[in-house]
Amino acid sequence: MTRGPTSGGKQKRRGAPARAPEAATAKVKTPGPGARNRRPPRKRPTDPPPPKSPAPPLPVAAPQEIVTERAAPEQEAAPDMTSGPPASEPQTWGRAADRDGSEDVDEFGYDPHYEQKVLPFFELLYEKYFRVEVTGVQHVPGRGRCLLVANHSGTIPLDGIMLRLAVRREHLRRREVRWLAEDGIFHLPFLGSFTNRMGAVRACQENATRLLDQDALVAVFPEGMKGIGKLFKDRYKLQRFGRGGFVKLALRTRAPIVPVAILGGEETNPMFARVERLAKAVGIPYLPVTPTFPLLGPLGLVPAPTKWKIYFGEPIDLEGYGPESAEDEILVGRLTERVRGAIQTRLDQALSERRSVWFG
Amino acid sequence: MGSARGLASVGASARVVAVTGAAGFLGRSLISALEGDDRVRRVVAIDVKPTSAARTKTRSYEVDLTLPAAETRVAEILAAERTDAVAHLAFLPGPTYATAWAHELESVGTMHVTVAARQAKVRKLVLWSQTWLYGAHPSNPNFLTEEHPLRAPRGEPFFADKIEAEDQARKLTQPSPGAVVTILRMAPILGPTVRNLVTRFLTRRLVPSMMGFDPLVQFLHESDAIAALRLALAHDVPGTFNVVGEGVLPLSAAIRLAGRIAVPVPHPVAELLTGLGWLAQLVEAPPAFLKYLRFLCVADGRKAREVIGFRPAYTSREALLDFVRAQSMRDVNLLPEESA
Repeated sequence: MTRGPTSGGKQKRRGAPARAPEAATAKVKTPGPGARNRRPPRKRPTDPPPPKSPAPPLPVAAPQEIVTERAAPEQEAAPDMTSGPPASEPQTWGRAADRDGSEDVDEFGYDPHYEQKVLPFFELLYEKYFRVEVTGVQHVPGRGRCLLVANHSGTIPLDGIMLRLAVRREHLRRREVRWLAEDGIFHLPFLGSFTNRMGAVRACQENATRLLDQDALVAVFPEGMKGIGKLFKDRYKLQRFGRGGFVKLALRTRAPIVPVAILGGEETNPMFARVERLAKAVGIPYLPVTPTFPLLGPLGLVPAPTKWKIYFGEPIDLEGYGPESAEDEILVGRLTERVRGAIQTRLDQALSERRSVWFG
Repeated sequence: MGSARGLASVGASARVVAVTGAAGFLGRSLISALEGDDRVRRVVAIDVKPTSAARTKTRSYEVDLTLPAAETRVAEILAAERTDAVAHLAFLPGPTYATAWAHELESVGTMHVTVAARQAKVRKLVLWSQTWLYGAHPSNPNFLTEEHPLRAPRGEPFFADKIEAEDQARKLTQPSPGAVVTILRMAPILGPTVRNLVTRFLTRRLVPSMMGFDPLVQFLHESDAIAALRLALAHDVPGTFNVVGEGVLPLSAAIRLAGRIAVPVPHPVAELLTGLGWLAQLVEAPPAFLKYLRFLCVADGRKAREVIGFRPAYTSREALLDFVRAQSMRDVNLLPEESA
């Protein structure tokens, strides 16, 4: 019974070939909403009847099988997931089935089960507390990649979650929004992993590109930290929109931009001053001073029950520009300004129509 | 390129592969795999002690890579055996207090091996590396590509030595342009037989975690690690590749799946205690490793899939479960503890 360390390794290798086809078929389904939409056309009509019965594992050793795939990498139409053994029907039994429902989180860390648990609280916030009103949600395309660009607001950024809920509840196709959150939040304990499990993704070009390439609906708040840290007197005055990274992103991934104006969020925690030096020492970007905050302790961070309105604007189509125009700083600057202008105009208009902060 | 052709014609490409660190886990397993591979004519095992995996094809040489004379000795061996390819796997599986010795082995040892390979006109070098070298940062993208700078804490010898080793290996291509250098950056390896820092971490009854932090982690199954090494030996694929299992899971889920209890510790406290423990040589890893319990360090395996054709048979979760199955047997003494 004294198994040497190597015999175990060998045993494992003998097990590997039998698993190889299954592994390759399981690869067909990549997480992400887009993959699910794209799959049906890939089913080839010429295929033999789909193997409902367990497909016999191909009697080739794993490395050799990989070799055959490698022999013609150029022929692949799509860069991934097309090659593999002929039977591309996903296996739905045994270990592959286990793999199906196995992932706790998607590849960006979104945990649907966890979200379900805390959702009632945010639904309550959405329905009863902020009484969110949504206009123009039909401008969000029903499928395909799209970039939502919104103003950022509130000392505690709840707008990402509210925007997500708005699209899910109001949109005909109940699309899922993934929003990009500032780096700063991921430094912080609890808050970082919480927002990540709720569906937020760290804002960077790599992540956003990957999401859009999967035809996801991505929300960005280009004001970033400066947006959240706006003083009360600056409310609804859009800050600089970064360096136009979101326009470059849209150009590169050929995603349309939908400007979004969120009204109400900027009054939830009216901030009169920021304490920065002290806060930086503790590792947070700033400490807000609101009428209630340091005064009432953590309770003072409870947002005020303002009336929220979310306006989705007409999509700004960038189809006319090629991906290479992302390098054109002048164009990027102009487009950034155009998107910013669209949101600012909508905000100003909404503000002039609004009679009460509390009742809309 | 001739890579695919060379493989298709089995027999014509009988090859000689040298493996450094042959007595370690990866070396041992790779040699067992190569012993059963008809395309490999001879395996040259280089380590300070003979490898237990040696069968008929393997010739073992005892060389201490930390000695200054190692370079000539390795060059002689490689030339005498007419080696085609070197798999350089002589790295420590975890941090050690003997940092000076580790530096000699990993950084200087890699220099010895690359220089020897150049002298012996070895055509190919495959280097084992780790995705940990990217470093865990809150500003990391969710999937690190190979172009991303290596931002592991340079002050920590464990990482610094391995980053230096990568640089040494890359230098090999400059004087000898025909040489192929493949660097495989592997995710933490889990499996039924491997023992390393991560398996020991997940074997503890109480697993410390950083309070309020739950980063995504990814793993690589041991058989996939060997498969990747074999692919790199069989094809000419110069460059650096992330070799990772598919999928990610939160660290908390990984600890739960391992059947362990997570003990959340505030990270300043953990850093202080680990720092003191490391000084007193009571803990296994220096405080720099705690960052990996707080922040993201997940690599993108797309390049390896597209260029080498590496498709891991196990997802991160399955690799973990495979380890857990064996570990639960070990917990009740139904499987012997593996060494190293």
